[in-house]
Order: sequence, then structure tokens, then C-alpha cells
Amino acid sequence: MADSYLVEPDVKFVKQLKAMGGDTLKKCYQCATCSVVCPISPEERPFPRKEMIAAQWGLKDKLVGNMDVWLCHQCNDCSTYCPRGARPGDVLNAVRGMSITEYAWPSWLGRIVQDWRFFWLLLAIPVAFFLVLLGATGYLKIPDGEIEFAKFFPTLLVDIVFVPLATLWLPVTFGIGLSRFISAIHKNAVAEGKAKRKDVNVPDFLKSLVCTVPTVLGHSKFSQCTANKDRYVPHLLVFYSFIGLFVVTNAFFVALYILQVPGPYAQWNPFKILANVSAIALLVGVIMMIRNRIGNKDNASKTSYFDWYLLLLVLGLVLTGGLSELTRLAHLTTVAYPIYFAHLVFVFCLFAYLPYSKLAHLVYRTVAMAYSRYAGREPCE
Amino acid sequence: MTEEQKKGSILVVGGGISGLTATLEAAEVGYEVFLVEKNPYLGGRVAQLKYYFPKLCPPTCGLEINFRRIKDNPRITFHTLAEVESISGSPGNYDVTVKLNPRYVNEKCTCCGDCTEVCETDIPNEFNFDINTTKGAYLPHEMAFPMRYVVSPRIIGTDDAKKCVEACKYDAIDLEMQPQTINLNVGAIIWATGWKPYDAAKIDNLGVQYPNVITNMMMERYAAINGPTQGKVLRPSDGQEISRIAFVQCAGSRDENHLPYCSYICCMASLKQATYVREQYPEAKIYIFYIDVRAPGQRYEKFYKNIKEDENIFLIKGKVAEVQEDPSSKDITVVAENAVTGEKVQETVEMAVLATGMVPNTADTKLPGDLKYDPDGFVVSDLAQGGMFATGCAVKPLDVISSNQHATGMALKAIQTLVSS
Repeated sequence: MADSYLVEPDVKFVKQLKAMGGDTLKKCYQCATCSVVCPISPEERPFPRKEMIAAQWGLKDKLVGNMDVWLCHQCNDCSTYCPRGARPGDVLNAVRGMSITEYAWPSWLGRIVQDWRFFWLLLAIPVAFFLVLLGATGYLKIPDGEIEFAKFFPTLLVDIVFVPLATLWLPVTFGIGLSRFISAIHKNAVAEGKAKRKDVNVPDFLKSLVCTVPTVLGHSKFSQCTANKDRYVPHLLVFYSFIGLFVVTNAFFVALYILQVPGPYAQWNPFKILANVSAIALLVGVIMMIRNRIGNKDNASKTSYFDWYLLLLVLGLVLTGGLSELTRLAHLTTVAYPIYFAHLVFVFCLFAYLPYSKLAHLVYRTVAMAYSRYAGREPCE
Repeated sequence: MTEEQKKGSILVVGGGISGLTATLEAAEVGYEVFLVEKNPYLGGRVAQLKYYFPKLCPPTCGLEINFRRIKDNPRITFHTLAEVESISGSPGNYDVTVKLNPRYVNEKCTCCGDCTEVCETDIPNEFNFDINTTKGAYLPHEMAFPMRYVVSPRIIGTDDAKKCVEACKYDAIDLEMQPQTINLNVGAIIWATGWKPYDAAKIDNLGVQYPNVITNMMMERYAAINGPTQGKVLRPSDGQEISRIAFVQCAGSRDENHLPYCSYICCMASLKQATYVREQYPEAKIYIFYIDVRAPGQRYEKFYKNIKEDENIFLIKGKVAEVQEDPSSKDITVVAENAVTGEKVQETVEMAVLATGMVPNTADTKLPGDLKYDPDGFVVSDLAQGGMFATGCAVKPLDVISSNQHATGMALKAIQTLVSS
């Protein structure tokens, strides 16, 4: 080969990947079975064989800004057929975790969310914040009478916290991370010849984004998996229940501030029904996910703290949300309010740490899939 | 050989190249050797090959010399269709019972073939890996030793068998033959129980269900002059000549899901088989897909180098992981990622050869002796205890030359047991 290339291994990066569930990466001997058995890998420059050697060599630049690691849906067909037990599917999952952390802003928060030692700190932040907020406004007590969560944690206070979180914090932090991410994957795709076009054209990218939406909504990539097809249903449940709850949250916001109708709302209210159905779907979905991960199946994905963090958060979220409603309806005053408090803590964590947690894949993967269409790596369906 | 008879005797189990070598090496220095072989012929897997690598000479050549040496040596007693049933005793003194299965053909057989002529029943030809059939009364193969027909137990009790008896002018067929048991007392035992090809049906992504996907050992039979196509490599589905062929290396070997170890010979076997195709079809394109080409040692390396220089042979670094068949043409498409260029490669060929690996015969059936096995079923000899020694492919995947060397060493270990007891 005429080109010479000096490999500069980032040993620390290799160690981090191993800690994040990619501990089998050194077993790979580059037979390339994985790239062929992968049901969703493109024909040209397929993954994940090239990512495996980059991981072994600690070539961080070729991985964290690589759109291909996001095209991977961790079917683990590759891991099933891997002759060495190198588990490429799990290694790419670890790379995605590293990628989320790499582009996170502020970066220290990214590192904290990735580190299990800070789990309780992450929960303690909203707990302390809410206690101070309620204490300062004189609400830090269990109210008497019929249970109304607004009597305990006034809606205005909730919105003072969550509206800026959703409209300022998330767009700014995620926006910074995402812009770094997009420029990185573009640079990498051009350098590795995966992009058929080298220009940057925002309208075209948005068109690609639009054509990615049906793929995401239909989970059509997921449904091509064989080894890990058990993940399709729970992921679909969790995905749509989040959409349902998002719709409900916005509807109630409109009801409160525009229509001036405060909750709690009747159980037959269509949005209330959507909320309850979504909550049940979310609970079922997340329990199926956890069961799939702890079920000792050969092709089950390996689960690192980064995965557990999100699973536990979502489990906590749905359990406290459901129990808030049930204890309220059962008039269990002494437990209903603390559970509601805990629910708000989980909601806060989900929102505030979204750009740093595994949930960020919702955005990163969608963007990478859109970029892949933009760059001509995959066709629009 | 003029050595005088030495004290003590050795049992060699398995009449393939390792067992033959151990037998001869021990007998030719003066020890009594009993050789038992379960097939009706000696020569084992080597007898099924077209050529040895790297010299590309037919194995009959080397086997003939060995058979001559066996015939000439009064200290060797061999039994075909024989299996060891039980063993008792200790190093220096083993009592062994051997079951001799009936051949139904005695020493009067002249190999005239009249029995085959009249026999109507077709039975699978195991020697050819069931590519074709043979008659119920048959010669295992043209170079079989002992050169004597066999009547298959499948036709015993049928009219076909009686017709064979009637057709035999030499009174050589005896349908009344019964299994026999013989007892041997030996001082040492050499297990040369050999190997079988890995069952390709266990590999679900390499297209074994398609007629034009064959294994490397089947390829040997197609290419061998005494094979089902008289040595012409033709594709199985329609018997047509070929212009494009693919070799799929590591079909089941170096794979935790199948055989975790390297079977050692398959790279050289495929490189060798590429020369078979090259010889018959000078224009044919040959694609060899590999993980790593393992051609150890200076002579194999040279062989590999010559193959690499051939403009019609393409070596692609990338394991085939998907195989498709065109239902109308029956052509085979193999899919791999070329790990050097990073591009997915699809080659459509007329037939594909899976380089399946070696499984020790002891993987499923354990031997009737106090032996240890590794997790893959290869025998681990206890050299310190002595008495019983495994050799050849019962120990690890080996080529012919290494089997010869190993067997010679184990013959010496067996002799040491005799001398020290």
C-alpha cells in the first residue's frame, strides 16, 4: 500500500469502551462475518468490521464521529454469528455511549452521567433543589383535605422549573452537542468516502430528516433484526408511550394556561385516557426491556451502567407516575404526595440529563440516519 | 527387515496414515503389531484424496509402499471391519477384545466383479461421501487394501445377496459369516482413530442445502480419478463443466459456534484444490475467501506464493458469511466483506467448496480405554503413565507429514512401555 498511516492508539479510550460494555472487542480477528450477516448494514463500506479494528486500535476519531455506529440498531445478529464472541453489536453500543459523552455540553456533565458513582448525586440535585424551592415558598408540608398535587407543589412552581428546562436548557445543551456531532459525522463521512456529496446544504438535510421520520416511526430497521427481534416490541411500546405522554403534557399545558382548566382531569377525558394507556404501555415496555436484558439469553445485549441508568430512570418515572395517580384516587394522603415528589424528581432527571444519557440516541440516531440519507449512504424509503 | 522378533506386542487402532506409520515403525524394529481398522480397507482419509500437498502426487503412491511393507512383515497382523470392544489391564499388559464384523467375502475373492454385476440394490457410497451409490456387493475403491469385495450388511437376507453368491465363480461369498470376537494381549496401545469432516449441515449461513455447495472432502472425490466423476470436476446440479468456483475457508473452523480451533489443513487443501481446477479448466476463475491463509513452513509458504501469482486465482481476505442460490441457474452467490478494501464482495460462481474442518472421531464416541480428552474431543495422552498413546488426528488436526512424524514418535513411546515393563 502506498499510503502510510501512523496509528496513534488512544489506550484510555479503549479502556473506556471496555468499561461501557465493549469488553469483548479485543477478541475480534477481522474475519468480517459481522458486516455480511448484519441485516441493515449498507453494501458499500459496511459496518461493523471496520469499527471493530478501530476500537481495538483505539482510533477514537474514527468512532465517536462515525455515523455508522448510529445506523447500527444492536440487533446482535453479528454477535450471534461472530466466531470469536467479540460481540460487535455491544461494542458499537459502547461506542455510541462514548459518542454521546464526547459531544455533550457541558462535557463534565456528560462524564458525570456516564459514571455510576454519581448516580445518587444526579438524583440528589433535583431533590435538594425542590426542597429549597418548596421551603422558600412555604409549601414544604403535606396539605390537608382532598388530594390535589397542586396544593403540595403548585403548578406555577412546577412550570418555573420545567418550562425553562424544556425550552432553554434542552435546546441550548442539546443544540451545542448536536452541532458538534453533525460536523464530526460529516467530516468523518467525507474523509472515509462514505458520503456521496461533500457540501453542506441545510434544506436538503431537512428533506432527508423528513424521509427518516417514517423509518423511525415504523421501527423498520429494528424489524429487520433476527437475533434480537425480542427488542422490537418493547422498544416500540416505550417509543410510542413517550410520544403519548409528550402529547398529553402539552395538551394539559394548553388546558391550564390557555383554556384555564386546572387538573386533575376526569378519567374519561381523552387525554387522560391517552395518559393512562401510555403509562401502562411504558411500564410494560420497560419491564420487557429489563427482562430481556437480565434474561440469560445467548444473544441478549450486554448491559452497562449507561443502559441501566436509563432503564432505571424510566422505570422510576413510570412507577412513581402511576402510583401518584393510584394513591391519589385511593386518598392515601401520606404516600401520594411523597410519591408525586419522587415522580417530579425522575421527570427532572429525564429532562435535565437527556442530552447526556442513553435517551439522547433518540436525537443522535435520527440525525445520523438523516445524514446517511443526505449523504447518499442509504436511500430514502 | 531383518531385525529379530522383540519381546512384547503393540495394538494399533486405526489404519489410516498415522496407524499405518505407527504399525510399520514398531514392526520394522522387531515388535509384534496388531492393527485393527473399522473400515473394510486400510488407508483412511488419505485414500480418499486426489493428491497430497504440497507435492501434488496421488496418495496411492505412498499407501502402496506402506501396504507392501505390511505384506512383507510377518510381525504385523491386521484386521479390517474390526472394532475394539473392551480393554483391561495396565501398561505392559492389556487384555483386549476385538470384534470382527463379517465381510461376507473370503480370501478366494479375485475381484472379478461378477457379484456387483448381478446385485441390484444401490447403497450410499460412503467412500465418496454419498455423492453416488454403489451396489450392495462392492469393492470399497479401486486401490482398496486388502483388495477384496465386501457384501454390505444392508443386503444380507435378501435375494440380491443370494444372486451374488450364485454369480461368484470362486465360492468367495459366504453369507453365513458371523461376527467374531478375538482376544489379544498387548503391552501398549496406539490410538490412531483419526477424524471426520465437520458436519456442514450445522452451518446455517453457508448454503449447504444447495446442490452446488460441496465440502472440501467431496471435492477430493470429484477430482480423484477413482471418484464418482472419474476425476472430472463437474458441478453437482447438472454435471456441467465449470468456469467460476469459490472456496470458502474456515467453514466451521476457528469459530466458537462450531469448532473453536484451526483445523490446520484446510488452507493448504483449498490451495491444492485450486490447482485441480486450474489443471482441468485453464480459463476458470477461482475465488478463495479466507480469514488468514495458514500455509506454515517454507514448503507450504512457497506453494501459497505460487498460487498467489496465478492470475486466475483471486484470494480475498474476508470470510464468506452469506450464500445464495439462483433458483433457475442453480448458480451460487457468495457474499463477504473484503477486509482490505472495506467493500462488500459478491461473487456468483457455478459451485462453491466449503473448507470444512476436522473433528476427531473421539468427539462423539469415546474410546474403550482409560483416556483423557480435551474439550473438543481430542485425546490427551498421559505420557508419564505410558501404555496408551494417541496419535495423528486423534490428538490434533495434522497434515500427512506431521501425522507420520507424530506416529513415529508414538511408536517409540509404545516401545518404551514394552521395554520398561
